[in-house]
Amino acid sequence: MMLPPLSFLPIFIDFNCIFSPDGRNFQVEYATKAVENGGTSIGIKCKDGIVLAVEKVVNSKLLVPGKNKKIQTIDRHVGVCYSGLIPDGRHLVNRGRDEAQSYKSLYKEPILVPSLIDRLGIYVQNYTCYNSVRPFGVSAIVGGIDDNGPHLYMIEPSGVYWGYNGAATGKGRQAAKSELEKLDLPNLTTREAVKEAAKIIYAAHESNKDKDFELEISWINYEDTKGRHESIPEELLKEAIEYAAAQSDEEESSDEEMEE
Amino acid sequence: MVGLSFDNYQRNQYLAAKGVGVPKATSTGTTIVGCKFNGGVIIAADTRATAGPIVADKNCEKLHRLSPTIWCAGAGTAADTEMVTQLISSNLELHSMSANRSPRVVTALTMLKQHLYKYQGHIGAYLIVAGIDPTGAHLFSIHAHGSTDVGFYQSLGSGSLAAMAVLESNWRDGLTKEEAIKLCSDAIEAGIWNDLGSGSNVDVCVMEIGKDAQLYRNYLTPNTRAQKSKSYKFPRGSTAILKEDIYKLVDVEEEVVNLDTMQVDA
Amino acid sequence: MNGITVDIEHLKKGEVSLGTSIMAVTFKDGVILGADSRTTTGAYIANRVTDKLTQVHDTIFCCRSGSAADTQAITDVVRYHLQMYTAQNGKPTTKIAASLFQELCYTNKDHLTAGIICAGYDEKKKGSVYSIPIGGSIHQQDYAIAGSGSTFIYGYCNKNFKKNMTKDETVNFIKTSLSQAIKWDGSSGGVIRLVILTKDGIERLIFYPDEYQEA
Repeated sequence: MMLPPLSFLPIFIDFNCIFSPDGRNFQVEYATKAVENGGTSIGIKCKDGIVLAVEKVVNSKLLVPGKNKKIQTIDRHVGVCYSGLIPDGRHLVNRGRDEAQSYKSLYKEPILVPSLIDRLGIYVQNYTCYNSVRPFGVSAIVGGIDDNGPHLYMIEPSGVYWGYNGAATGKGRQAAKSELEKLDLPNLTTREAVKEAAKIIYAAHESNKDKDFELEISWINYEDTKGRHESIPEELLKEAIEYAAAQSDEEESSDEEMEE
Repeated sequence: MVGLSFDNYQRNQYLAAKGVGVPKATSTGTTIVGCKFNGGVIIAADTRATAGPIVADKNCEKLHRLSPTIWCAGAGTAADTEMVTQLISSNLELHSMSANRSPRVVTALTMLKQHLYKYQGHIGAYLIVAGIDPTGAHLFSIHAHGSTDVGFYQSLGSGSLAAMAVLESNWRDGLTKEEAIKLCSDAIEAGIWNDLGSGSNVDVCVMEIGKDAQLYRNYLTPNTRAQKSKSYKFPRGSTAILKEDIYKLVDVEEEVVNLDTMQVDA
Repeated sequence: MNGITVDIEHLKKGEVSLGTSIMAVTFKDGVILGADSRTTTGAYIANRVTDKLTQVHDTIFCCRSGSAADTQAITDVVRYHLQMYTAQNGKPTTKIAASLFQELCYTNKDHLTAGIICAGYDEKKKGSVYSIPIGGSIHQQDYAIAGSGSTFIYGYCNKNFKKNMTKDETVNFIKTSLSQAIKWDGSSGGVIRLVILTKDGIERLIFYPDEYQEA
């Protein structure tokens, strides 16, 4: 059998289910590119729960502030935020809700977060195996509380997922990651983490300064939300934004060079 | 189509209303037993098959081979015990070939019980399953609805009460092979003598660890017909021939064909 | 049907039934299950040494009553589900096992005659007992009794059960309760089998008529 001439190589780009000669799947890599251009999303695992935060880029002045929620709930105890193609993310969340309900209908108790992630990972991976579909253009950060405590995971377009103490994805992920690394995550409370999350999203927005944005934060903890995933209260958000603004003013002078 | 068909249900109801009875399946009103011994397991059965009050077969076989080392005694509906046994035997062989292992008794048991449970008792097979596998000697019983039992000794069929009486009074732990054969054949004989549904001979199958299974067909024949003291055959010529006619019904023509000249297509 | 006694008429003709006395009791260190050993077909005892205490996972067992075929089939399905659960999510709790029994018993209620007590030991809840009577409902209890023989010992058990008994107290409680159930119920009999589930694992006990009848 003859190998195809070199001029045919670009066909590998077109086929989702076929490896390139050096063992890569280009479609998955392009999906990752779509994620890298999306608004920044972060997740923090604290000792008492989870905090999720997103940078929502405002594309029109006509949009009603606070009415376009981007963080979604999969089950009462699991929240998710993602960067990339929003419709893809909504579809993934839908699947997550189905999986959570099917688990509950069989075992009569809420799905364990690692089990949910595993099922979602399998689902996402399936979209890298067939020509008739394209991979998910999102990286989703999933956080939740179950009997074994808080869990935080991030699923990538390839279907791979890892457990994190602090996760970041989207345009400002590098800045966000270096900010997350400065925190003493295992000993943080969710109340403290909400403020830090606001600060990190503000810092991450520096690379996208020309556009307006809105901050959205949700959390799950034992004391305030009784283990449920909810948006943080209005006052707490205001407080967090004030904290973030104050911090970014301080750091204005020592502005770091951010690569993209 | 796989499975039972109920297509003729309405027709049969109509015929029954007209007074045409439903045909009866041959039921092996039977005695079957099984018993473990030191180093193996034995099953035994009588050989009478009945259809209502008639003895349908005086020397039928009720011991079925599921695999070379797993055997099964059947009571209940004769056709069902035969067919379910053949089906599972076939699936067991396919399973053992794909798994590259000799089949286990629990595998046969599970396949049988799941099949019988699926048919909710409509397949009237009552079985004693016994055999040797890499994990040792095993003995089980299965009822038609799909329930299973484990034990050192088992009896099933219409003669099971008579057989159980023998097993309960004579069984003990650590029987030898010979003692176990004697116990099982005694139990079957109790069925043969005391149960109307059982009769004729005793079949025994011995499965010993490390040896091939041995089927002793007609191990006991306690019902051989006695020699009659006189012959009641009519000698040739007892009936007088009054008239003899021979008709030619077929014309026979003969022709010689020379094989060498025959043309055969290449 | 009141969900406690088993309606023998409901069984199909010639079906094997577990006219039964079964119970499960939580105690200080875990849980103990108990059962008689009689299986009947009509008036005939098909098996006098039945094991009605069936394992579905490492330290989760169930007591079976009703149709032998139905309860064995249900137990096999639950055992399969728990094996799958273990592979996918890790160790199951007793509640998970009981929920599986409940789901099967409820969705197939029109075809099943099964009264099940599911009991087990897990690190979170220690010993726990769930009763799943004939309609497919589920009840978490400190102790549960079921089967045709249980009607005779409601009063006795109610008066004599105490929370946090020792192992010996619990064994004696079950032994005396079941011996009375066996005494007054014709469909129960044979030996008394016990399974003790604690952090140390599984322990099996057997009591013969000579011993439990004088207790």
